[in-house]
Amino acid sequence: MAVPKHQRLLNLIIGLSSTRHRLTRDQIRDTIEGYEPLPHGASEEEVRKAEQSFERMFERDKKELRELGVPVETVEDPVHGDEIGYRIRPAEAAMPALDLTAAELAVLGVATDYWRGAVLGSDATQAVAKLASSAEHGPRVELPFAALPAVGNDAVAALVEAVADRQTVRFEYSSSSSGAGTRTIEPWRVVLRAGVAYVIGFDRDREAARTFRVQRIGGAVTPVGEPGAYDIPDEIPLGALAESGDVATARVAVRPESGHALRRRGTAAGADGGWDLYDVEYAHADALVAEVLALAGGARIVSPAGLAKAVTKAATAALEVERG
Amino acid sequence: MAEQATDRLVRMLGILTYVEKHGDTPFAELAEHFGVSVAQVRADLNALWVASEPGDSWFPIDFSADAYEADIAALVRNDGVSQVRLSPREAVALVGALSTMGAAGALPEAGTQVLAKLREALAEPVTVIGDDHVAPEIRESLLEAMRRYRLAEVEYVDAQDRRSTRVVDPHRLVVIDGHAYLECFCRRAEDYRVLRLDRIASVTVLDGAVEHPPTDTAGFTLTPAFRATVRIARSGRWALEDMPGVVIEDAEEDVIATFDVADAAFVAGRLLSVAPHLRSVTPNRLVDELRRQAQSVLDVQR
Repeated sequence: MAVPKHQRLLNLIIGLSSTRHRLTRDQIRDTIEGYEPLPHGASEEEVRKAEQSFERMFERDKKELRELGVPVETVEDPVHGDEIGYRIRPAEAAMPALDLTAAELAVLGVATDYWRGAVLGSDATQAVAKLASSAEHGPRVELPFAALPAVGNDAVAALVEAVADRQTVRFEYSSSSSGAGTRTIEPWRVVLRAGVAYVIGFDRDREAARTFRVQRIGGAVTPVGEPGAYDIPDEIPLGALAESGDVATARVAVRPESGHALRRRGTAAGADGGWDLYDVEYAHADALVAEVLALAGGARIVSPAGLAKAVTKAATAALEVERG
Repeated sequence: MAEQATDRLVRMLGILTYVEKHGDTPFAELAEHFGVSVAQVRADLNALWVASEPGDSWFPIDFSADAYEADIAALVRNDGVSQVRLSPREAVALVGALSTMGAAGALPEAGTQVLAKLREALAEPVTVIGDDHVAPEIRESLLEAMRRYRLAEVEYVDAQDRRSTRVVDPHRLVVIDGHAYLECFCRRAEDYRVLRLDRIASVTVLDGAVEHPPTDTAGFTLTPAFRATVRIARSGRWALEDMPGVVIEDAEEDVIATFDVADAAFVAGRLLSVAPHLRSVTPNRLVDELRRQAQSVLDVQR
């Protein structure tokens, strides 16, 4: 009976981990239980077919192990010319001992829900299965916590792989400033903010670091060229995504029984006629302007003048919006 | 559907690592811990047992046959086989989800601990930016109410800045689009509600017990009233990207977005902030609401 695939993959991990130097493809085919050695006395045609079927099987196995997180290294040996060998360094392949508690394992179950319906969902489930190995066994822990899936875009999974492999990618992108077009970037890092995914990388055409909102990527993310093609800088510029160290203060006037959120964040600064005054810190002027606008007359900006002007500009423009 | 070979492999390595760490383990405990039948545990142990080095020269894993007969996994030898580490995608999936919950302010204590362990082992696989505006005492009071199955009185400021005091049956904290919400039954609305945690001004734990069970359908329950179509310059596109059911199409220098509207006043407030980029809005009732709000702003802002 043929050796089942899970058995063959386990034997392949064991074989490539225990080799002193490396195993060549021929050695793998002939000695690892689960692959078919070349038949003795076979015809040339039979040998060719057997080689092809081994190649297909081994390539697929290698890919699946790498996707699983097992670093299958390619080892070239000048003595043997262009015959390629493979090995796994056990220390690099092993899961570090994390010693999780039953409650910690339960939280990981909640975290997998966050990616439900997206490609990363099966990655999260697989990760929890791996972490269960070093978790304590306890009664099922029910947590009053949940995470609903984020707006999914499967480009995230491809970008994470590209970052790990340091491989250039190409995709269609609808930019807010320059319209739709093809972008070629060297991705450096995936960033999540408030449930939205971004990728920061070096834009080959613009020759500068750029931030891309993953949701605006249309279609597939295609790898271009070889892995390991570039270095990722130690300091990645977060640009507009940064927490923003620069905080300014605005004085905002709010009507009684209005602007509750502003009141909670701000510091009371007296009153002016029928209005209560508050000093409110802000990192992004646009966000504060939007907040005041959304109160529809329940608040106004006293200072700075630039923000007050932005409020009137937006409201004036709104009066001129056409009916569609 | 047959189990994927890699899923099975991960569980087999998991069982091996678990037994190596915890010592002799009954099959029943392994079955429960890994969520499979005892028969499957036996099959997995057998597959580990016959794993071999090249040329069948050596069998690196050996279990006690006597213990096996007694339905106990007892490791006699393991020559360097162990669970494999997380792949980059797996690491990002877990750390990303946990960090997002943490940034939203809805990560349990155990989550903070496991996140710290993962970060130490995985060297920050993803950057998560967020500012948790949830006051710790709000979260603690709600968790206390949930732990003791008590009602809670919450002061709440909704997205339209309406302030209200409600008595709720609190059920759980849930992260939606990077923000933390309280899932509850609201006694005032006599219906299930999700309240955004950073809009809760105060929480009082009451003596009354929770009576309404949690709902099965988590998340938002607002039903859309109509569908809006908005033409906007590309530079204002970002403001519409997270509207419910949104479809965005390119149209020359603009984009055309169609999305569901449950509350016209709320959507008009959103549109107001990108009004300089707006070209046209449908239907008329949304335009009217937008103009009404704009006029109210201009009446007070000079």
